[in-house]
Amino acid sequence: MIRVAVRHAFAEAWSIARSGPGLTAVAVGLIAVALYIPGIVLLLTQNVARLASSAEEPASIVATLLPSADARSVAQAIAAAPEVAQVRIVGPAAARRRFERTFPDLKEALATLEGMEFPTSLEVVLRPQSAEKGSAVAAAVARRPGVDQVQEEAPFEVRFRDFLKIVRRTAFALGALLCAAAVLSVASAVRLALDQHRDEIEIMRLMGATETKIRTPFWLHGALEGAVGGAFALLLLAGTYVAAGRVLAASPHPVLSLFWVRFFSAGTAALFPLSGAVAGFIGAALSVGKARL
Amino acid sequence: MIQVFHVSKEYGRYRHALTDVSFTINKGEFVFLTGPSGAGKTTLLRLLFRDELPTEGQIVVNGRNIGVLPSSRLPYFRRTVGIVFQDFKLIGRKTVFENLAFVQTILGTPPAEQKRRAYQVLKQVGLHYRMNAYPSELSGGEQQRVAIARALVNEPQLLLADEPTGNLDPALSEEIMHLFAEINLRGTVVVIATHDVDLIRRMGKRVLTLDHGRLREDPVRAPAGLAAREAPFLPA
Repeated sequence: MIRVAVRHAFAEAWSIARSGPGLTAVAVGLIAVALYIPGIVLLLTQNVARLASSAEEPASIVATLLPSADARSVAQAIAAAPEVAQVRIVGPAAARRRFERTFPDLKEALATLEGMEFPTSLEVVLRPQSAEKGSAVAAAVARRPGVDQVQEEAPFEVRFRDFLKIVRRTAFALGALLCAAAVLSVASAVRLALDQHRDEIEIMRLMGATETKIRTPFWLHGALEGAVGGAFALLLLAGTYVAAGRVLAASPHPVLSLFWVRFFSAGTAALFPLSGAVAGFIGAALSVGKARL
Repeated sequence: MIQVFHVSKEYGRYRHALTDVSFTINKGEFVFLTGPSGAGKTTLLRLLFRDELPTEGQIVVNGRNIGVLPSSRLPYFRRTVGIVFQDFKLIGRKTVFENLAFVQTILGTPPAEQKRRAYQVLKQVGLHYRMNAYPSELSGGEQQRVAIARALVNEPQLLLADEPTGNLDPALSEEIMHLFAEINLRGTVVVIATHDVDLIRRMGKRVLTLDHGRLREDPVRAPAGLAAREAPFLPA
């Protein structure tokens, strides 16, 4: 009996979709766009955030040393402080490689400056529980012999992460607005389908169909419409990811090509059709639940 | 089977569709409901399958007071009633078989059983060879026979038909009426609303005549003097 009911619900949902292909396509398209926009921002921020904390723990303080300084002994002295988790020595060659990778356009100009050497610097990573003591540690490092200048990096890291949060929130807010539009679009598509199937609904009711049996195909139609829209959004995102990867491979960008390396996990990817299905179901429920059919 | 106790139906303050109608229909009966246009035939039929509620009085079908039937139980009541309409009410985008299967799906009948029953009732109405035709490919008489088959497919105890021959020529009307008579012989109570007096005369069955919402003629009258307040109140 359940199998018959399920088969009937799916067959009727398909028939509803076919009865208004234009509106169904619009609703699916809107849901796809509504999920694509926050999706693309999520993809970008996920990768950028990965860059921000990738490979190594970000430095809280960067100290540039005088050419005469002994980098190893200064590093050992700084590492002895209880607030410091780690001190990394970035030698002139490593610093030059970083510069060339970040600014490839200046590589040739740098080559013409013979004899120019990048100073050695120390990257100081604080312990998580000592993050708020960054300024005090920076001042202590600046007072050490052999240290030329000190730059506190933590505020930038915090600002960068805050910026990512704002971007994500804005994208989700925009996505939510678009989702609301998509929900209304599904509601209109279902309302039109209801009008087109009014005779059938009347016959079903006269023949003894329960309200659940009458409404289920419409709910299912909305949910499936949303799920298809969500799947389209995911396909578009995958397409964008692959296309962007190819463009970056052809002409590597100093920063983008570094971070554009990871697509969504299976769990995150599954959220797209699922969110679409929920949005579609809400649209259908709004429409079907409005009045006696 | 059907007991109608002092039923009145009003639409607004001044339109009295039915006034104090009482009658009883027993198991196995074949009853015509007749009267001029606007007499209240369709209203009475709609009250019998609870498409409408009476303003006053009680209607008992199969021992259930359908006036107080909760809406959640209405579908289960409707499954015991087959309904045939003048305009057939077939689904145009479904084939004859699908129109019948559609109704059986409501009851959760398995597909194989749906096919068997559909074939059986279509054979009964003489249309088993047109199972895959669409309603638009059928004549008016054939469409009405499909509508009758649909009403019968769930083996109802009561068959209600509202002007089932209204759109058919006299020969087809006679054919359809004989089909109803056959169905009645198998034990189904048949109530047909029609204004075709000649047809009624030829069939020789019990006739309830309505005029301006009042029951004017009934050879089997309900006991005289039974007031609405005296009618047995039966739970749903």
